[in-house]
Amino acid sequence: MPISRGFRGRRAEVDPTRVPPGQYVVRDFPVLSAGPTPHTPLDEWSFTISGAVDEPVSWTWEELLALPTESITVDIHCVTKWSKLDTTWKGVSVDTLLEGVDTEGDYVTAWSDGDYTTNIPLEDLTGGQAWVAHTYGDEPLEPEHGGPARLLVPHLYFWKSAKWVRGLELMVEDQPGFWEAAGYHNYGDPWKEQRYWSD
Amino acid sequence: MTETALWLDGNAMAGLLEETFGAEMTAVVRRCQSCGQPHAIGKHRLYRGAGEVLRCPNCGDVALRISVLPDRNVVEVRGIWRVAVPRD
Amino acid sequence: MPRAPIRWRTVAVSEVVDETPEAKTLVLDVPGWPGHAAGQHVDIRLTAEDGYQAERSYSIASAPEDAQLALTIERIDDGEVSPYLAGEVRAGDEFEIRGPIGGHFTWRVSDGGPLLLVAGGSGLVPLMAMLRHRADQRSDVEARLLLSARGLDDVFYRDELARLENVAIHYTLTRRRPEGWTGYARRVDVEMLTEVGPAASEHPLAFVCGPTAFVEQVADGLVALGHPPDRIHTERFGPTGG
Repeated sequence: MPISRGFRGRRAEVDPTRVPPGQYVVRDFPVLSAGPTPHTPLDEWSFTISGAVDEPVSWTWEELLALPTESITVDIHCVTKWSKLDTTWKGVSVDTLLEGVDTEGDYVTAWSDGDYTTNIPLEDLTGGQAWVAHTYGDEPLEPEHGGPARLLVPHLYFWKSAKWVRGLELMVEDQPGFWEAAGYHNYGDPWKEQRYWSD
Repeated sequence: MTETALWLDGNAMAGLLEETFGAEMTAVVRRCQSCGQPHAIGKHRLYRGAGEVLRCPNCGDVALRISVLPDRNVVEVRGIWRVAVPRD
Repeated sequence: MPRAPIRWRTVAVSEVVDETPEAKTLVLDVPGWPGHAAGQHVDIRLTAEDGYQAERSYSIASAPEDAQLALTIERIDDGEVSPYLAGEVRAGDEFEIRGPIGGHFTWRVSDGGPLLLVAGGSGLVPLMAMLRHRADQRSDVEARLLLSARGLDDVFYRDELARLENVAIHYTLTRRRPEGWTGYARRVDVEMLTEVGPAASEHPLAFVCGPTAFVEQVADGLVALGHPPDRIHTERFGPTGG
């Protein structure tokens, strides 16, 4: 592999202990997508928890915004090797959304507008590890970055933070999602570099 | 960024397709499994997420997914693809 | 269509030529290059010292008849790859290319015409390969070029374009115009396409290249004028190309 003298790309200098193996820190916020940007009108939007639950629960956009909101600062790591540090978001903790929900499922399929799904163990979405985020920085989350709301699960590779999320389906059996069925690791821990099936 | 700016046409995938299938694929006609319309692969819409996703230009359904792993490409093909592969 | 297997190969830069303040042509030594058709592109892969890699696609600027392969790259602010290729790179530097790639957006003299080439900015590159091929073959296929640019100083190959024989060249300058400019000064629209021609009744072969939105708009305009979609070939330069 020939080295291209002087090539660095757009990467920033950072504290290496914050960067998972094989990742490079970028200053911009790359936009990647498996499909077109959906544009569900907010008056038609809802978020639903369903599946292996006693009773499905649903919120309209106004109802979601009325829930307790947290401000968080997290690092995010994309499987395509870019990382972005200290990103700030506002959203509703998944713990809040799951309050009062009884389930026998240990797994979750997060599903979005379009045909995107991703699977995450329920225990990775609880205990303050995940949010339905509607604000990035100080602005409403832009459609190209997943707005009006996306799932945010920063301790896993960012393909698990489903853009345009519309619901969580509780599952008794784990069901690989869009990328998990197409070569990507079922769990996706960036610190163990779990990018692909063979990792 | 407008939505049309998020996709390239299938011609942008020509290098990866040729590397994967061993032949020039952009002129291949695929009949969509969902809407039934035929379109050349080069006219399909390429999205880049974790891997590459090629979608029917009419209905948007997935036509092809290619994930480039370190040691292999994982390929999922949908619809009816009519390919004529010349013999040397 | 050449069917040599395409794989990554290492190339060395033989010469760097300034085209405009923002763009350079890289002339490459490619041992064993199988040849290409005008309109095709290559994928470029750069590797940093720590192993970081980035890939982008660039259209081939040189005609198939040229002895060396040439790529013209415009530097995009904050781009990942273009500031390196159109800024840092010097003769002797190495990187990898894969190609030639692209069966859909090609033109050979034997494909005939009349030819309508519509370029938005750096979309001129593959169309220039076609015009160079046409000139090298001394072809008299009727050819028109409509080029949209921000200003004249953004136009690649200006002198060469001026010297091309029997090609009708139209510029539309969307941001900066020289004193006394009487040419087009707006985005390409149906009226402009009608004036530039040829009419759909002449069954031209159209090649449109540039940013995605530009290509969409021009292609829609040509279809609206009655050009059949299968005579309109498009190559979109995506927003992530940088």
